[in-house]
Amino acid sequence: MSRTHITCTVNGEDTDFLANPGTSLLDALRDELGLTGAKEGCGTGDCGACSVLMDGKVTCACLVFAPEAQGRNLLTVEGLSSGAGISGDHLHPLQQTFLEGAALQCGVCTPGFLVAAKALLDHNPDPTESEIRYALAGNLCRCTGYDKIIRSVQEAAVQLRSAK
Amino acid sequence: MATVHLMTQHRSLAGGEAVVEADGATVGQIIDDLDRRFPGLAAALRAGSSAGIDGEIHAEPEFVRVQPDTVVYFVAPLTGG
Amino acid sequence: MTAIENPKTYKWVGTRPIRHDGYDKVVGKARFAADLNLPGQLHAAYLRSPHAHANIVSIDTSKAEAMPGVKAIVTGDDFPALDITDPNHDVSINVLARGTVLYHGHAIAAVAANTKAEAQTAAAAIEVEYELLPVVLGIDEAMADGAPLVNEHNHQKFVGPSDPSNIATHTPLERGDADAAMAAADIVIEREFDCAHVHQGYIEPHACVIDTGADGKANVWASSQGHFMVRAITAAVLGWETSRIKVTPAEIGGGFGGKTTVYLEPVAARLSEKAGRPVKLVMSREEVLRSSGPAPGAKLRIKIGATSDGELTAIDGWMAYQVGAYGDFAGMVGAMSVASYKFPNLKLESWGVLSNTPKTAAYRAPSAPHAAFAIESIIDDIASELSMDPIELRLKNAAVEGDLTAMGMPHPRIGLVECLEALKASDHYQSEPAEGAARGVAVGFWFNIGEQSSATVNLNEDGTATVITGSPDIGGSRASMALMAAEELGIDVYSITPVVADTEAVGFTDVTEGSRATFATGKAVVEACRELKVELCRRAAQTMGVDEAEVEWVDGAAVSPSHVGGEPLTLAAITAQAKRTGGPLTATASLNAAGAGPSFAVHCADVKVDEETGQTEIVRYTAVQDAGTAIHPSYVEGQMQGGSVQGIGWALNEEYIFSSDGVLMNPGFLDYRIPVASDLPMIETIIVEVPNPSHPYGVRGVGETGIVPPMATIGNAIKAAAGVRMTSLPMSPPKVLKALGDAR
Repeated sequence: MSRTHITCTVNGEDTDFLANPGTSLLDALRDELGLTGAKEGCGTGDCGACSVLMDGKVTCACLVFAPEAQGRNLLTVEGLSSGAGISGDHLHPLQQTFLEGAALQCGVCTPGFLVAAKALLDHNPDPTESEIRYALAGNLCRCTGYDKIIRSVQEAAVQLRSAK
Repeated sequence: MATVHLMTQHRSLAGGEAVVEADGATVGQIIDDLDRRFPGLAAALRAGSSAGIDGEIHAEPEFVRVQPDTVVYFVAPLTGG
Repeated sequence: MTAIENPKTYKWVGTRPIRHDGYDKVVGKARFAADLNLPGQLHAAYLRSPHAHANIVSIDTSKAEAMPGVKAIVTGDDFPALDITDPNHDVSINVLARGTVLYHGHAIAAVAANTKAEAQTAAAAIEVEYELLPVVLGIDEAMADGAPLVNEHNHQKFVGPSDPSNIATHTPLERGDADAAMAAADIVIEREFDCAHVHQGYIEPHACVIDTGADGKANVWASSQGHFMVRAITAAVLGWETSRIKVTPAEIGGGFGGKTTVYLEPVAARLSEKAGRPVKLVMSREEVLRSSGPAPGAKLRIKIGATSDGELTAIDGWMAYQVGAYGDFAGMVGAMSVASYKFPNLKLESWGVLSNTPKTAAYRAPSAPHAAFAIESIIDDIASELSMDPIELRLKNAAVEGDLTAMGMPHPRIGLVECLEALKASDHYQSEPAEGAARGVAVGFWFNIGEQSSATVNLNEDGTATVITGSPDIGGSRASMALMAAEELGIDVYSITPVVADTEAVGFTDVTEGSRATFATGKAVVEACRELKVELCRRAAQTMGVDEAEVEWVDGAAVSPSHVGGEPLTLAAITAQAKRTGGPLTATASLNAAGAGPSFAVHCADVKVDEETGQTEIVRYTAVQDAGTAIHPSYVEGQMQGGSVQGIGWALNEEYIFSSDGVLMNPGFLDYRIPVASDLPMIETIIVEVPNPSHPYGVRGVGETGIVPPMATIGNAIKAAAGVRMTSLPMSPPKVLKALGDAR
């Protein structure tokens, strides 16, 4: 099978890679680009652990063929923080509030939640609790019962608004 | 003599008794003492039981030391999730 | 760093620092097993049984072997046959079937190839001839006289017949005279309940990467709740010496009991050995649901008698748990059913029953949730018949220290009364339910367990410390270990690096299960730190030139009253001089912990029932639980909230649906629906702290109990809201609608 050459922007950088036409974007990110932050929890778009932003929209990377990324602008969890050093000084407010609010236990769903929450706050800086819950309804977490995730998104929204 | 509470499923091996007395400085010695009076009980107890002693459950009670006034409760082995 | 609350005299215990492993998890760097790739790595895939019960007449792998990219194929014949009395016998024939498949999805063969797609294509090309056997799916069917055998290798455990049987365990528990007490009771309520199989639903599928080298040694990276367990079972199934295997724990993406056993590792190790290359083996979600270990389904008949003033006098119960195709299941079912109330008279009969469905595994507080659903539902009905407040009825009968558990032994100090009082005083219970909603409460408990743990604490030359344990961290236990070590040593929690080390770098440690990590491994950490403090004082005495007996460890420094004019010697000052004063400062503690403290919980839910659709909406939810001592309160709350929501899913949505020939019909998260954020309100928490006298900081362990009360809590709220008593889990809309229709 011949591999397709794909060029796109990933986390702000021009990127290119080769992939079989039937390869999922998730597999391409993880295996070709070494971006293993997005996880495969189901492979059928039900759990959201593979969430990435494609031109700003939350997308299950397991449901997209790699060639569909051609020319698109992708953001993965690895691109959320800016120049994150080991001190964590440059974490995105969502990453910081997730840490402070204990919004993760095992952490395997966390990358997907962070990406989906960023998309929400980009579009709606002041969401209600109910809007947060519906915006994150495509992301499954089995450890936390969602309480601390919702509260951490609320806190990040406050911080992002006050930073403007 | 230590006081020993048997699990319901083992009582038929001890003549129907729920509570028996036994001698020994360890739970293992108590089990051996019981087996002299109730042949077969030792094998059943060692096949799968923990022991509650002084409010603590010991998963492997064989060598746990007991005093003459100790009360030993044999209980089902517990595993977690 | 985050603000720190400090309600106690402790400096660190009870505070809420950011967990040490958190940073890697929010930036996508944390390495889970499926994230790892090795040079030259192959990918493996399974062939699984399309039948729920069949003899394997023949397996022909010749076509598959000739396919592109294929490097190795294994079947059951590639593994030694373990004796039926071997404790690993069942797991050995579960990882790859030998002669007979016992459930739909049972693994038959596995292929390693250059790519996953090649491995999958080749696995599908393996030809198997089957001879179909009768499929047994239900408890009644399996227990019937003359029922076909589910698994010819199963014999009843502990006490029982030596012939093959569909019964795994039969455990009677009796005290007093339940029949006489029942006859004398003013009120007797008896009901029958059933519970569907449910799955732990961890988001990370099982995964491992294994490299078996030319020296015959296997390097294993695996997702599990216990890497020493992985090593032991893998060695046993392969017929290897334990020392041939090194297991490095990857980050684990949820377990809840489901990762306390092994599915992949012996298979991947043998493939790697045959191919001479590293092998990666990852389950799909469908494989997880079809072929890992769900929790048992159950059928329960429970009868409870009480006096007219609300004293519970007798319980008579028959409980059958459907444990799947193997009898590898502890006989603790009855023990986990009754411990919350005094019940002077008790007669319980519990059964583990086989069926041609996947081998079940532990799921958070194994076997307690089913029984609590039944018992707490009936207790609620008694309260309502007697027009008593459901909390008052429970307080009247609540077990305290010295009261007997179902197993016969008296409770140590427990905190059930404190939990009931805390709920009674809570804002939730003191407020009226919202318009259209009604309230339910229920109690739950779990004993918790101890088991073996090891810890090594190394003091570094700059005064920092490394705390090394063998307990995989599934919910923040590294932070708890660091907090206890910081408290003991008197240094900053961020001066401590908590590490979960591989099987060659730390002493043997049992699985992270039964809420034992913070209790038992924490105890080992504290012991090692205390040993170090004695040594630190000895070293300080040398330096100060004072008598060792006069030196005390206070706030992270050695102080001596006779060290005139001298400053206290800090930990960093002592470690800096370690070379001069006797060498490295390190201590190891290993133990088999007894004295795990039972943890009780009381939950309260306000629900609305849509009488047109049968849908139940949770409007408000509060979980109260005795943690003993909360080392890191945020993660204690997290355990309570997570357990509550898993219980809410169990109560309302989740169930394994099998076809009549034993095929799971909903093997994905779309149809096996776990709760999502929009289904839920906030989960309010109240941590009660009645310290466990058997732990240096009073820890009880909190992971298990949270899943026990929700089903009855919600069932009781549905009864209050819609007037129907639901006795079948899940209480899904069709069942609620039917109950509403029947009641009209």
